[in-house]
Parts: sequence; C-alpha cells; structure tokens
Amino acid sequence: MTIDRANSALLIVAHGSTVNPDSSAPTLAHAAEIRRRTIFADVACAFWKEEPSLRDALFLFDPESVREVYVVPNFISEGYFTQTVVPRELELNGQITKRPSGQIWKYCEPVGNHSMMTELLLKRAREVAPGVDPAETSLLIVAHGTDLNENSAAAAKREAEKICALAKYAAVLNVYMEEPPLVSDWRKLTKTQNVIVVPFFISDGLHSYEDIPRLLGIASERSTTNSRTAPVEIFRRNRYETDGRLLFYSPSIGTDAGFADIIIEQAAKSAGV
Amino acid sequence: MPRKRSGLRGVPTSIDSVLQAALTDRFHLGQILVQKRNDDFVLSHRDDEVCTDLQTFRNAEDAVEIAKYDEAGNYRSLKTAPNLRRGWRLELSTSPELKRALDYFYPGRLAVFAAWKSDKLQTTLLRETLERQSGMYRVAAKISDEQIDSVVGDFCRSDGGCLRTILWKRDQHGTLPSTKLPLKKIDPAYDQIKALGRPGSTTPATATIPLLCQEACNLLVAECRKVVKGE
Repeated sequence: MTIDRANSALLIVAHGSTVNPDSSAPTLAHAAEIRRRTIFADVACAFWKEEPSLRDALFLFDPESVREVYVVPNFISEGYFTQTVVPRELELNGQITKRPSGQIWKYCEPVGNHSMMTELLLKRAREVAPGVDPAETSLLIVAHGTDLNENSAAAAKREAEKICALAKYAAVLNVYMEEPPLVSDWRKLTKTQNVIVVPFFISDGLHSYEDIPRLLGIASERSTTNSRTAPVEIFRRNRYETDGRLLFYSPSIGTDAGFADIIIEQAAKSAGV
Repeated sequence: MPRKRSGLRGVPTSIDSVLQAALTDRFHLGQILVQKRNDDFVLSHRDDEVCTDLQTFRNAEDAVEIAKYDEAGNYRSLKTAPNLRRGWRLELSTSPELKRALDYFYPGRLAVFAAWKSDKLQTTLLRETLERQSGMYRVAAKISDEQIDSVVGDFCRSDGGCLRTILWKRDQHGTLPSTKLPLKKIDPAYDQIKALGRPGSTTPATATIPLLCQEACNLLVAECRKVVKGE
C-alpha cells in the first residue's frame, strides 16, 4: 500500500515551547519541505505547547477532501507524550481511528524509532567534523536522562550500540546531562584525540545552546534565550581545542533536513496498516 | 464530551471558500490587513496601512519569523496575543501562499473558522479541558469557579491578553467564561481589535474573520495550574 496523495494529509505533532523560539522551527521546516514534495494533499503541524494545538488539529482537515490523516510524532522516543498526551488530545483509539465523518486517522511511530536515525547520526557526525578520521575519534550521543516516563535515554543507548557495531569509530558512547555516564565526564570517558558530540534532541534550545556546551566546558554561564539573540554562535565556532584534544559539537539531530525523509517513511509504514 | 455548537450555519465551508468569500477587496484577520491588488495579495499590520517605509517580504514562510517576536524582541508564545509587530509588508501571488502565511500568523484559526461556518466546530467546556489533563497539569482541575473567573478575565482579555472570541463555556451549566469579560468577547461578529482602542486599527474592511477559540489553550491551563499551586 502507498499513500494516496490526492486524499491523504500528514499531521506532524511535536512538543513546542512557550519559552524557546527555536523549539518548533525544525518541525515547521520539515513540514515545508514535505509540502514542497506534494506527497500529501495537505501537510500541517500541531503542538502541545504552541499553536495550532493538538486540539485545533481535530479541525485542520476537511473530511470532504481528506479521507486519511497520517499522524507522525516528531519525538525522539516513545514515552508519556506519544503514548498518553497525543492520543488523548487527538482522540485516537490506537493505530487506526475512524471519525464519525468517515475520515481515518493513522497514528504512526515517532521519528526516533526509525532505523534511518542511525545513518542520520553518522551523516551529522561526518558533516560536523569533515576530514576527521573516525578510527581516531570518539562519538558521543547526548540525551537528557532522567526524563519522566520518556525513553530518550534508552533510544540514545540503542543508537550508540548500533553505531558501535559498525566499528567505524574508535568509541561510541551514549552520555546524559543528568545521569551517568555524564556528558561532563567526557574527558575521562574518552581516550581519543578527536571527540564528536551530537545532541539527540528534536530541536535546538537551552540544552544544546548552553547546557551541554557548559557541561562540555566550551561555554560559560547560562543566559536567557527567549529573544532574538539565541546563541547559535556555539555551532558556528565549531572545533574546540581543549586539553590538547579536538572537540566537534553538532546542532541537535532533529534540525537535520533528513528528518523530513524519516517523517515520510513513518507515514508510509502505516499506509498499509 | 465536546459539545457541538448550535447555530444557523451548516453549509459545508472549506478554508479556500472562506478566503474566496472574504477576498472581494480587503479583509481583516486579527491584527492583519489583507488587500487584493490585481492578482496579488498584500498583507500588513492593520496599523500600518498608510505607512510607506515598510520592509517588504515575498515568501509565505517569512510569516514565521515576522510572527515570532514582538516589537521588543520577545518571543510570542501566543500568536493570537495583540502584540504582532509592525513595520512589514508581505506580498504573495497565489491563494495557497496566502492561506499558508495566514496559518503561520494565526495557526489553525482559519480551519477553526471554516469548521464553525459549516456548523462542524465542537467546543469543549473549560472544566472538561481541565479534568482531562494529566501529569503536571492534573492539579489545574482543582481551581475554584471564583479563581477561573479571575484568571480567564485577566488572561483572555482582548486588550493585552488574547484576541480570540471565546466560544467555550466554563461548565455544564453553560456558565460564561468570566464575568470580568465584556459580552462582546463571546460575540463572533465583534471585531476584538476594537478593544485595543487604537486609532487607525479599525479601518473598514469588506470582512473581518474572527479568531475563534473553541477550547481553552494550553497556556490558559498552565495559568490555572499556577493559581492552584499559588505560584
């Protein structure tokens, strides 16, 4: 089964933020890219903390013209939001929900679950440290850790293990902001000359702009980022020399344009359900 | 259960037909003025209609950045707050671009309006919204009726809070959202911009599309939670 482009819509659901201007930016960008490809009759986003809300999404697609709605959670992992909040707010009964209008809503797996995520992490690592020999490099995948009911830490561990099995990098480690193995211990955890750090988050924000750089020792104190002065400088000034070693720091994986492909793939997987 | 509104509408209405009907000459949506110039569309802040030194944009996606920050550079967490910045002009050449840009400025509002026009919009009682919450927001349901009256009266007011027209009721008794809000706040025919009382912002238009609120937003739920927790 394939997606019927004439009668199908895509709804990308994400967390969003009331304080971080960049939280929804990647989701909106992925939606714009997928819209450009005209795979669906309509493409929309809905957020838990921004507009349109998940509740607004119930009215986004005209049942006269849109017969199927593919709901793809732009989340790193299954957890409280994908299993509790999104189904509740969208009034979903499981993988398939038939509305009184006859419109079918298909609830797809979150993007972070897709096997393409591994290749995307590798691509991001290559881009952030061009020409750097993986055999002399440690790759760190950073997640939050101690998330309530979220499995992002486990997802980071899974991806680290998959990349490690490829035997490309000298070492591949999953590290966390708030639980061991701590990202702040990177000097002890790694032994190579080069270290690449990729935040395993859906969007950039305080964690990737300030918290992780501070824990890595490449930035100082935290500031506020609810204005236009978001410190993206941390990524522009990449390649940090510290303690005689080279550290390469990437933007959050969710900002990668390749996420659009994964979103489409997750919808396509549900097309035959 | 969400409640279906009663009304005299009922003709199936798509977002496209809403825009077509409004686009004979010019119309208002929130703080935005949309003007049709030959085959093109020109969007600007309603207060900027006579301004000539506006920064011109020509991409629907530019609306994302225009709508993101207020005049002072602060992030606009509520897009229907009456703090859309001035000084810009957005020129678009197609109807789909116009629809997309308006959806960036006021996400979801055109779809909600189209559903309302078709008599398909369901509204949800504030008490139901609060009872449905889980996790850190579960406590919000403990808010008293008096506290709701005060929070909604302050948070949702058009002059400084939110420009939406409230369609939901407080509870199953059909109680109005807040006694502190004027009855015009629940009237879709009333242009909420008038509450701002700014000269030049109420230029007559052939149509004004109201920003309808069918259910309390997450921001209001968060405010209710704060009140309960005494924050």
